[in-house]
Amino acid sequence: MRGGFLAGSLVACALLAASSVAAPPTLIGKEAPDFVLKSLAGTNLRLSEYRGQVVLVNFWARWADDSRQEMPALDRINTTYQRAGLVVLGISVDEDPRRAVEFAAPMRLSYPILFDSGSNVGRDYFLEKMPMTILVDRAGIVRYSKAGFKLGDERAYLDQIRELLRE
Amino acid sequence: MNRNRRSISNIACAVLSACAWAATAGAQAPAASAPPAAPAADTAPADFKTLDQEVQGLKKDVIEMNKDLFVLEEELLFPANTQVALYLSMDVGAFFALDSVTVKIDNKEVKNYLYTAREADALLKGGVQQIYIGNLKAGKHELVAFFTGKGPAERDYRRGATVMFEKGVGAKYLELKITDRVAKHQPEFIIKDWE
Repeated sequence: MRGGFLAGSLVACALLAASSVAAPPTLIGKEAPDFVLKSLAGTNLRLSEYRGQVVLVNFWARWADDSRQEMPALDRINTTYQRAGLVVLGISVDEDPRRAVEFAAPMRLSYPILFDSGSNVGRDYFLEKMPMTILVDRAGIVRYSKAGFKLGDERAYLDQIRELLRE
Repeated sequence: MNRNRRSISNIACAVLSACAWAATAGAQAPAASAPPAAPAADTAPADFKTLDQEVQGLKKDVIEMNKDLFVLEEELLFPANTQVALYLSMDVGAFFALDSVTVKIDNKEVKNYLYTAREADALLKGGVQQIYIGNLKAGKHELVAFFTGKGPAERDYRRGATVMFEKGVGAKYLELKITDRVAKHQPEFIIKDWE
């Protein structure tokens, strides 16, 4: 009897603890935090200047192996859909921009690479795992977010992009 | 401060939503009570016109209200007796392509701003940007501004400008001016103290 009560209390406590664990913060449905960053080409790019277009923001890092697979896939998406109104922005969170350039340059990417060396933008976007990809609609609202990457994920990106471009 | 700004903009959004709801409700209420006898084709354009005028009026009210909220926000966050506002303008700019500006007041960095091509263009066309607004105690202060960009012959260019200014009882306005010194083929950076 007493044992049963104890077990019941433990289960109740576990449930209470699970419910009190805060859900990871998400930006989906909220306005994408604006940023302005220096690009590899030397120009400064501001997210809000692409309002009216669908923007794919990809945070990447040299040390994240999945970035090496994801970036060429994003490059293919960019070359196919940029004329339809898609903008792809790659943001390196590496502390040393020179190392990031060494990593990205051989890929000859068709989309701009920006540098967030101080991770200020990354903090605004609640980066949890690298790489991280975010889709922003024409109104500047975050509509899709994906942490990490494995081959085949680009199909999910394409579905989302096509839907947003149709809006 | 950002939280205050956000809460004020939230109020503005709430007002906007309330107005939009009122417009919809207002438009639906007479439609519900109107007799169904009149042919829809005859009445529809007039109804739409009235509704459109109503919506336009509400939009105007919201813009007015937003303006008032903005002024109120400025007054609350930056009272005139401590307010310091800093503006940036460019005159000609043939010898300098602006990339970024860093502002320090009393050796403390208060602003670091990167300019996109579009923003730099707007400044060249005569735009004036409020680059910083904050609060300062009365007394003597030092302002240092660093300008980075491309100078003559596309060379990387970084220059600083310093001014000592006296903050009195009223609001203080300072202007960072980038002009061309044609005789020397060099840009010039001036900090103007507006009394």
